[in-house]
Amino acid sequence: MRRRTFLMFSAATAAGAMWDVAVEHGAPGKELVRFIPETKLIPGVTVWRPSVCAQCAAGCGLSVRVVEGDAEVVRKGQSGLIKVGLAKKLEGNPGHPVNRGKLCARGQAGLQVTYNPDRLSHPLRRTGPRGSGQYAEVGWEEALGELHARLGPLASPSATSSLAFLTPPLRGQRRALIENFLSGFDGSALVSFEFFDDRVLREANRLSFGRAQLPTFDLAQSNVVLSFGADFLGTWNSPVAQSLSYGTMRQGRSGVRGKFVQVEPRISQTGASSDEWIPARPGTEGELALGIAHVLMSEHLRPAAAAGSAGRWIAGWSDGLPEYRPEAVAWKTSVAPETIRGLARQLATHSPAVAIVGGAPLAQTNGLFTALAVNALNALLGSVGKPGGLQFTPQLGSIGPAAPAKSKSNAANLSGNIQTLAQQIRTGKPKPVGALLIYQANPVFAAPPDWQVKEALVKVPFIASFGSFTDETSSLADLILPDHSYLESWVDDLPESGAAEAVLSLAPPALEPLHHTRATPDVLLDLAHRLGGPVAKALPWKTYEAMLQDAYTPLRHLPGSVSAASDDEFWSKVKDQGGWWSAGPVPETKPTAARGRSQPVKNQEPEFDGPAQDFPFHFLPFPSQQFGDGRHANLPWLQEMPDLLSTAMWGSWVEIHPGTAQRLGIAEGDLVEVSSPHGVLRAPAVLSPGIAPDVVAMPVGQGHERYGRYASGRGANPMAILGTKTEPETGALAWAATRVSVRRIGKGELCLFSVGPLEWGAKQLKR
Amino acid sequence: MTTRERQRLEAAPQDRDRLTRDLLRPVLHTSPRIYLTMMALGAFVLAGLVAFVYQAYWGMGVSGLNRPVFWGFYITNFVFWIGISHAGTLISAILRLANARWRRPVTRCAEAITVFALVIGASFPIIHLGRPWLFFWLIPYPSERGIWPNFRSPLLWDFCAITTYLTGSLAFLLLPIIPDWATLRDRAIGWRKKLYRVLALGWRGTPREWHRLEMAMRIMAVVIIPVAVSVHTIVSWDFAMVPVPMWHSTVFGPYFVAGAIFSGIAALIIAMALLRKILHLEEYLKPIHFDHLGKLLLVMSLLWVYFIVAERLTVWYGNATPEVAVLLATQRGKFLPLFWTMVCCNFLIPFPILAIKRLRTITGTVIASSTIVVGMWLERFLIVVPSLEFKYLPFSWGNYRPSWVEITITLATFAAMPLLYLLFVKFVPIISMWELKGGEHPEPAAAAELAPGHEASDPWEGTLPSAGS
Amino acid sequence: MSRRWGMVIDLDRCTGCEACVVACSAENNIATAGESQAAKGRAIHWIRVERSWEGEFPNVRVRFRPVPCQQCDAAPCEPVCPTYASYHNAEGLNAQVYNRCIGTRYCANACPYTGRFFNWFQPSWDKPLQLQLNPDVSIREAGVMEKCTFCYQRALVAESQAEAEKRPLRDGEVSPACVQSCPSGAMVFGDLNDPASAVSRLAGLDRGVKLLEEVGTFPKITYLARES
Repeated sequence: MRRRTFLMFSAATAAGAMWDVAVEHGAPGKELVRFIPETKLIPGVTVWRPSVCAQCAAGCGLSVRVVEGDAEVVRKGQSGLIKVGLAKKLEGNPGHPVNRGKLCARGQAGLQVTYNPDRLSHPLRRTGPRGSGQYAEVGWEEALGELHARLGPLASPSATSSLAFLTPPLRGQRRALIENFLSGFDGSALVSFEFFDDRVLREANRLSFGRAQLPTFDLAQSNVVLSFGADFLGTWNSPVAQSLSYGTMRQGRSGVRGKFVQVEPRISQTGASSDEWIPARPGTEGELALGIAHVLMSEHLRPAAAAGSAGRWIAGWSDGLPEYRPEAVAWKTSVAPETIRGLARQLATHSPAVAIVGGAPLAQTNGLFTALAVNALNALLGSVGKPGGLQFTPQLGSIGPAAPAKSKSNAANLSGNIQTLAQQIRTGKPKPVGALLIYQANPVFAAPPDWQVKEALVKVPFIASFGSFTDETSSLADLILPDHSYLESWVDDLPESGAAEAVLSLAPPALEPLHHTRATPDVLLDLAHRLGGPVAKALPWKTYEAMLQDAYTPLRHLPGSVSAASDDEFWSKVKDQGGWWSAGPVPETKPTAARGRSQPVKNQEPEFDGPAQDFPFHFLPFPSQQFGDGRHANLPWLQEMPDLLSTAMWGSWVEIHPGTAQRLGIAEGDLVEVSSPHGVLRAPAVLSPGIAPDVVAMPVGQGHERYGRYASGRGANPMAILGTKTEPETGALAWAATRVSVRRIGKGELCLFSVGPLEWGAKQLKR
Repeated sequence: MTTRERQRLEAAPQDRDRLTRDLLRPVLHTSPRIYLTMMALGAFVLAGLVAFVYQAYWGMGVSGLNRPVFWGFYITNFVFWIGISHAGTLISAILRLANARWRRPVTRCAEAITVFALVIGASFPIIHLGRPWLFFWLIPYPSERGIWPNFRSPLLWDFCAITTYLTGSLAFLLLPIIPDWATLRDRAIGWRKKLYRVLALGWRGTPREWHRLEMAMRIMAVVIIPVAVSVHTIVSWDFAMVPVPMWHSTVFGPYFVAGAIFSGIAALIIAMALLRKILHLEEYLKPIHFDHLGKLLLVMSLLWVYFIVAERLTVWYGNATPEVAVLLATQRGKFLPLFWTMVCCNFLIPFPILAIKRLRTITGTVIASSTIVVGMWLERFLIVVPSLEFKYLPFSWGNYRPSWVEITITLATFAAMPLLYLLFVKFVPIISMWELKGGEHPEPAAAAELAPGHEASDPWEGTLPSAGS
Repeated sequence: MSRRWGMVIDLDRCTGCEACVVACSAENNIATAGESQAAKGRAIHWIRVERSWEGEFPNVRVRFRPVPCQQCDAAPCEPVCPTYASYHNAEGLNAQVYNRCIGTRYCANACPYTGRFFNWFQPSWDKPLQLQLNPDVSIREAGVMEKCTFCYQRALVAESQAEAEKRPLRDGEVSPACVQSCPSGAMVFGDLNDPASAVSRLAGLDRGVKLLEEVGTFPKITYLARES
């Protein structure tokens, strides 16, 4: 075996292109290509095909390097080697307005989603108890038959129980498809769940600017950037687009170098790039923003009226915010009055300047107030809709099929969140949940324990999952109908931010499917056809491709990136380009008018879960540079990518200020126990100079119980100890509002890329 | 043999016989204890071989090496054993040239150390290769593809120097054994007789043969000294030629040579004491030998201190950031215990023992030598590892902890040395019989020393077993 | 005149996102080491982002710099290799001939930047991850050194493309995977022998410094120092 491996490697080195064959299959009999090639690629010649990145919500365009190769696949129940196009590298689509040819680490690691060894390759039916992970392979016909049989009764008008569809927040035609699918089920609910969901910011933007949407920042022309907790260069909003313009802001303009100040209690990857770090006390960021606004107004740098309608949600705005004198603000935020004044003057005199808010500051009980305060500050600075400020990417949400007219009960339920779903399951009201369909969302992993999501879900009589992997949530399913990976699917997206023009990302499959999987949109269309009735009427298409084509061809008449003489030509050009983007004004989805509120939002003291005397530290779970909210933890490249600041790999850790650690007798690498009123976890300690002494932080993403070989049983999950405090105005989880206590347990194990000192030393690369 | 000498031997036949009997006893008779010892040592060596095969099979990853510590125990052992090899040949050559007659029972013992330590030392660069089966690519041989090794690489210099030194040392060891093998040939029976007949190369003891032997030894003694010096200088250049903090030092050449002789003498003393005990050579390896070697060891200990101070003081004074990082790590940081152990072993303990005449006994010198061997091994380790752990960019600093594989292989070589030695003494009289008997084939002028009147002033006198007493 | 590939890394633009790190692993068939090996310092990253914490709370600053092989003109790794596995190619790159390497690891010690990596074990990929392997890059067997190649395979493809189209190579046409991916545009790659190339122009800026210039390795990577 060993010698053979060696010979194989020699062969592979000599003939690189033959590599796939050589390693995978030792026996010569298996090396014969048994099937007709599925690809017309020329061996060794690269083809770049467009696709759309599905690793986060930014919706970047991909360019997939496809090279012909041999893969072992199952076709018609027979397994064998076949010549197919294989994805070798993911790069940014150079023409795409959001990412312009660039791609972040998580995006590039997407290759390992398609080729993940733990990907489900065929439909599964549960054989053991729920959650045991015991499944048996079934055929697609059987699986679809069962799903049909289970959903059929729910689709009848007299159904006594309802259907729920659990997804991450969806956009584009995928959302339209699922909404239309659900329209045939009375009382059904589309439940979207994402841990870092920015609900508060959308609501604040709706109030301040009339757009329930994440903003796009024109950093390339900004002179001063003031960010409140937003990890905009790392994981938040549209990080690649923001990094692109950040680079220009720093060194892309002759003679001008933008300044960047970050306000956050723990230096994030983004904060690490800042010129100045201001560790304001958690939950007081809004206060700080208003302190700055106060100085702007009191020093007559900007008139209060400049804020326009954005100012009216802040009490005392038109009076110049008398309660927010720098001295008063300093006392609450622990930011020196002089710093506040200095910031205000810089923002005013070095325009264009922009303030950004996102992440932890909005995950407090006063999150909406904080967001509105920063919005008002932006408005006051005159940076809304201006070069170097913030703007909103035009939204072409109206393309595609309109959701069919809804019955009354349906409309009330059409969008829900995981708490209401859990409640509905528990109480059976308004209707018991008869079946649950899960598509990609993983709330069992990511929801706070007190929401009892798992306990609720297991009560649902029938659960089907479309996931490509078994994770904590999909392992509760009775039936799994695995989706293609996004490189194997028709993909479309509607980026919410990151570009000045309206963008629709769309691409045909870049690869032939590797496994015996089916694209979930096609499965739903098939199912709709089988169910008949209103569902079939709402979804008349045979394939998702046809549905997409119907939705996109009307765009031909709008000013955009594709000019074509016919619909067919237009469609083919859109597919080649990887989407469509506007080149002029387009009819937008109507901006949602401010409704349901006329009073300013009160500035309330942030509330924290857990009494301060027992739980002395603020607990800050932060989206990790590698795994985002945890969905990428099964990708080995990201597991082995060292964290920028701690250099940790393959695990999770607790970040503690060195002084605090010394006081608690904790040394680097020691195992510590972090306790909140809701749970306890253990992880090794990392002593970080870039964290406030009263804060402990932990990356989100590890601690999966069941998520494939690379993620399972690795590290700890900070969500498991979170409290359930919410931002009262939006109901969003205040995930940064939990307090904890920390104690040393013993020696721990840390896998670090750099075991060297924290500082390079005086003589290294200093000019 | 000159006529005078032969006459002398004939004049004291009982003396001659006793000498031969004593020295041949270990060769011709082996006690069960020795077999047991050999088996125990052999087991260790076997364990080392198994560990090496294991490593070659799975990859270097089974060692504790990593990035940035790409060299560890193996290179430490390499430098250490090459250092030990300087015991013999260099010492015996210098003493031979200086005509120091007290060396006579010591030379072969020392030269054997050289050869075995060289073989062991030279195996380490191969053990340490990522692809050890390709070691022959280091050899400059004409290949059909016209590919030569890189002569700019210090490793190639190493290869050449070590092979030269090994060849020379082997000749230096084997040439003077020929007469003794001839003696054995004449006395042994059975397969041994056949073996020694071959090994004796037809030695008949004619004056012409003695003359040739003597000439060869003289030439070898002159040639081997620069070779020996160059070998350890080149070993030091493996380090000094690359820009690694604390490696890149001009003092390394002489520093390594001094260290090598230092550890070599220590090893020699230990070997002599063991042989004396095990083979009952008390009458041939006398306290005075240990006393003389002890003095030499004292000088080397002082020289070692001089070099380490010269090396470290200049670095400290120069205050270049990368070098100081290594310096502080060894002296005050994580290597502090090892560093000060080394200083104790190499100087603080042996110095008083060796300096005070009363303590410079056999036991005393053996204790001193033992600490020195340990200390010099640590010195090699502290040269190799800290510089790699604390190379220029602090972000890439590292840690090194040897694995069981490296420890096993290291122990195996420490077992291999006595094993090879035991085997050697079973085939060769460890004390050169003819040299001891006759002095070193004296020149006619020097032969006068053999006259009764001079014998009292001969420091060698009294170290011989007194005839007939 | 032959080409002399070089790179400029603008530390004022770099955000430490490590897109370059994953891009490199993907392009160059770098196997993951796994937790236990990574903890022993055996993770392979041809390019790494070094981080430095400076100052005390709350006046803390972070600096980072991406460090690939510096492709030195006077590379210490080259002369020490006894088998010429580590050599200087015609375009000035420090190339590594994997087949010629016997694993003395001498080059790795000689490199002041710790930019060379050793294959401690036979690399492996859990099926079907091997399908992601780039056919243009050979994989390295246990016991050999490997290092950043400036993605030379990409240069070769671009050169043959330009040749087929009978035109000279354009500036910016060749970029290693790290440069290609860099979202903030911190990395620029090109021909240092072409005075008009972006990389030549940037390398001449006042902000330009070489890493460990005092060691005398004459690196072909110029770092543009951060301005704050």
